[in-house]
Amino acid sequence: MSTETTDVDMANSWPVQYLQDHTVHIAVVLLFVAYPFVYDILVDLFALTAEMVLPEPRTMLTILALGLFAMSFDFISGYTGYLSFGHGAFFGIGAYFVVLGYNGQIPLLPAELPFMMLMLMGALAAALFALVVGLLAFRLSGVYFAMITLGIAEIMYVVSQHWDYLTVDDSDPATGTAAGSPSDVELFEPVIGIPFIDPLNATVHPAFGETTFLGINFGDPVIVTYFAIGSIVLICYFLMQRIIHSPFGRVMIAIRENEQRAKAIGYNVFYYKIGAFMISAFFGAIGGALLIVINGTASPDTTLFFLVTGFALVATIIGGLGTLAGPLFGYIFLEGVEEFLARKASGGGLQPWLQEILPGSVLNASVSGVTVDEGMNAFMTGHGEFYTGIIFVVFVLFVPIGMLGTLRARLGADSVADWATTRIEKFRTESESEAGVEPPASETDPEPESDSD
Amino acid sequence: MIDHLALGAIDLLTSPGDLSSVIVEGLAKASLYLMIATGLTLIFGLMDVINFAHGAFTMYGAYIAAGLMLALVTAGMGFGTVMFIFIVVLALVFVLLAALGTVLEVTLVRRLYEYPPIYQILLTFGIAITLEQFMRMIVEFRNINNGQWNFDWASPRRQTLPSELGDAELLFIQFTNLQLFEIMLGALTAVGIWAFLNKTRYGLFVRAGVEDEEMAKALGINVQRTFTIVFAIGSGIAGAAGVILMWDPLWSTSVPLALDVLLPAFVIVIVGGLGSFKGTVVASLVVGMIDALGTWAFTTGVIQFTGIDELMIFTILVVTLILRPRGLFGVEGMGDHG
Amino acid sequence: MSLLEVDDIHTYYGESHILEGVSLEVDAGEVVALLGRNGVGKTTTMRSILQLTPPVEGSVIFDGEELVGRDAYEVAEAGIGWIPEERRMFTRLNVEENIRAAVPDGDGVPAALETAYETFPILRDRAGQRAGDLSGGQQQMLAIARGLVGDNDLLLVDEPSEGLAPQIVTDVGRALMDAAEEIPILLVEQKLGLALDLADRFYVMDHGQIIDEGETANVSTEDERLRRYLSA
Repeated sequence: MSTETTDVDMANSWPVQYLQDHTVHIAVVLLFVAYPFVYDILVDLFALTAEMVLPEPRTMLTILALGLFAMSFDFISGYTGYLSFGHGAFFGIGAYFVVLGYNGQIPLLPAELPFMMLMLMGALAAALFALVVGLLAFRLSGVYFAMITLGIAEIMYVVSQHWDYLTVDDSDPATGTAAGSPSDVELFEPVIGIPFIDPLNATVHPAFGETTFLGINFGDPVIVTYFAIGSIVLICYFLMQRIIHSPFGRVMIAIRENEQRAKAIGYNVFYYKIGAFMISAFFGAIGGALLIVINGTASPDTTLFFLVTGFALVATIIGGLGTLAGPLFGYIFLEGVEEFLARKASGGGLQPWLQEILPGSVLNASVSGVTVDEGMNAFMTGHGEFYTGIIFVVFVLFVPIGMLGTLRARLGADSVADWATTRIEKFRTESESEAGVEPPASETDPEPESDSD
Repeated sequence: MIDHLALGAIDLLTSPGDLSSVIVEGLAKASLYLMIATGLTLIFGLMDVINFAHGAFTMYGAYIAAGLMLALVTAGMGFGTVMFIFIVVLALVFVLLAALGTVLEVTLVRRLYEYPPIYQILLTFGIAITLEQFMRMIVEFRNINNGQWNFDWASPRRQTLPSELGDAELLFIQFTNLQLFEIMLGALTAVGIWAFLNKTRYGLFVRAGVEDEEMAKALGINVQRTFTIVFAIGSGIAGAAGVILMWDPLWSTSVPLALDVLLPAFVIVIVGGLGSFKGTVVASLVVGMIDALGTWAFTTGVIQFTGIDELMIFTILVVTLILRPRGLFGVEGMGDHG
Repeated sequence: MSLLEVDDIHTYYGESHILEGVSLEVDAGEVVALLGRNGVGKTTTMRSILQLTPPVEGSVIFDGEELVGRDAYEVAEAGIGWIPEERRMFTRLNVEENIRAAVPDGDGVPAALETAYETFPILRDRAGQRAGDLSGGQQQMLAIARGLVGDNDLLLVDEPSEGLAPQIVTDVGRALMDAAEEIPILLVEQKLGLALDLADRFYVMDHGQIIDEGETANVSTEDERLRRYLSA
């Protein structure tokens, strides 16, 4: 289970493993690429039934942005063991930097800079901020570290709710600031792509008006945005994955496993922790910038708020702590449940489906004065969080290493989620013999089977 | 800016009326903070279980109390009757929430004592989300407050707070009798919990079990049952705190109350230091006083930033942790592990 | 039937098999020493009896009752006291509270305090002091006092002389000898002389197994066989 064995094995079976890794990567990326088209086909075939079960492509956009944020959360929390409870601060910096930068509210920056530039500058700003926070916070550990990061993020949250500077007009900063000067989403047209190679650039649009790629105006703006955002998330994922597999990442894991030992071996763990924190903040801020591409508006409650981090944590656990890709799948699951029970019928969901399937007599049947339809309205629709909470409790109790962590353990791979696994499975001797008795030769690269954009 | 603040400070110090009002208000706020944080400090500070459902317990306490008070108190009732009903409701809410806490501890939380602490955060976070959303369902379904869970449900206070708890004046000091009542309840909480921990056998078992669970077991202490009782008491106090918050004009009966309570409670427990009830009491006083000062500064225009209360609280948290990494009275070795 | 019958217990720490079938007995009225080099499983044997590290196989019968599968606190309630290696004080509690915590029944507290203070008068003077501030010798006295007041029918005593000054070792030895007149003891002790003085019988452990046993009356500290077992 130790990282040393993994090192050796990786070197031995490196070429084979490399191909295997990429088989899975390619397969998952292809699934993501195919998804919007498959969705359309399935909806054509099965109408409401498909709409009910599958998250619509529009929801997938949010999942990608929040998923990247959750991955960056996992990068620091899952791999170094330091719970970054104020991670929303970096998400918020990324989001607000794009909005304020575009609106020309950031000193020294001209208004309406290209989106990609603002995104990277915002990410760098977040990394610098992480440096400052890290210098203060990494003197602490455990709960104290979690609380000081939470405190700093909450200070930013409170300030963002009340600081007039964040809005152009006299509107309430607590309701958020829209990108597009002066504060009009319709005017905000971020361009995603490779700078100076115009044909590769996609002009996307939070209002989903005119959305072009390769100069062509595709019929479906959501799909163009989906691919534009997806590519950025994919690149970010691979960058983080490479860092985790680099010697730097090995030290991160060593810190998580046993910080004293890492220190004794001679690593300056303080620098490594701050470095990892800065990298994590960088990618978290990119997630925030992507949210602006979708929403066009940065608001305290959707970016800096404590629950934004809270749900990243939920997604990370459902997906698998210390699996990097897991949090994205965790978010698909979370948002899927939300949409399944969403109040708005647009994305499809359980209630519209039942309304169509069930006969009127059932819907209007009355149980102690309340019709079934009204009951659904009150106790299911719009209350996805209730069921998410229950599912989450079940996950923590019965699948503590998450979906991806479990998948990897089942396939006999020595997942990096072993931190949790080994610490938990001390208490579950039986399942340990299932996953841990594999001969070392089959233990492979920590990120073997499933990674994706 | 600095001049402005200095002038404000001089203003305050040279006005005995203002100063004493700020102190009374600070004590009242400190009492509320103490009641909010006590449940958490028992469960988190002593048992090392980070209970994210704590705020939800308080919110449930507030809703149950509001419902009961609205149902039982009528306009013509005398002060004594209302206060009697209030105390009965307080006791009832304590029992109900303690029962809820017991159920959650026995069925869910108990399974995770041996896990890394992050799993307790996660589990109780899941419980918190579920409880909060469940209350939203009820609020919408029963059409309480027009089905709006995110606005103040101020009517329990308007309709059931006796006028005797209103404004009062003693010499040059202005305050409300509600503040005095809150201070009384806060002092009772502090003394009660202190006596529980230091003067009862269970308190002894709790402190022994917290320091060395294995040795406590080897001496015949049923640590599991002790923890269940602590969890029940902590949950009960969290609920009881909600009952008094229902009457306080600065708080309100609403679903977001859960989070409004949770974060300050965390701050106070951490600032006071994990494992130290004394620390929690001191931190409540510090936060209450600074909060009262902030409110005074805002109302008199010394500071013109609306979020000053929350800003102060989290600033205290960050500054304390920078200066004293284990809080004011934190015990070495608690809360350090991932 | 013996007071304590340990029958073929197997105990693991994670993957490592620590006890590979340990069997031993302690009769009423006797002191039994468990000898062996460091790391052969003596402390684990005690922890297995106490169910702090429950054995995976085998049985521990105390006073006719099976202990395996029960909670550690129930083992203590059944009447087995533990005086652990390194004392394990509740360092943040004071001396009196440490003793109180060891008393099974609240009504017995005054008598228990009296017993403890009579055995070790120094503890009476330190009653209000935090146990963490006591010297090593005083902590050992407190640990023994906790074992004595617990209304126990058997004491498991682990390395009582470890890290103590010679004078204090004598005191501790005398206290244990007094205790042994009333309570049977299973003793782990590195100082062979002390162990042989206190015990009536002995077992020798190696690699998680009992490899020898005998009566202390038949051996001396110079015994070839014993010295070979115990040399590092």
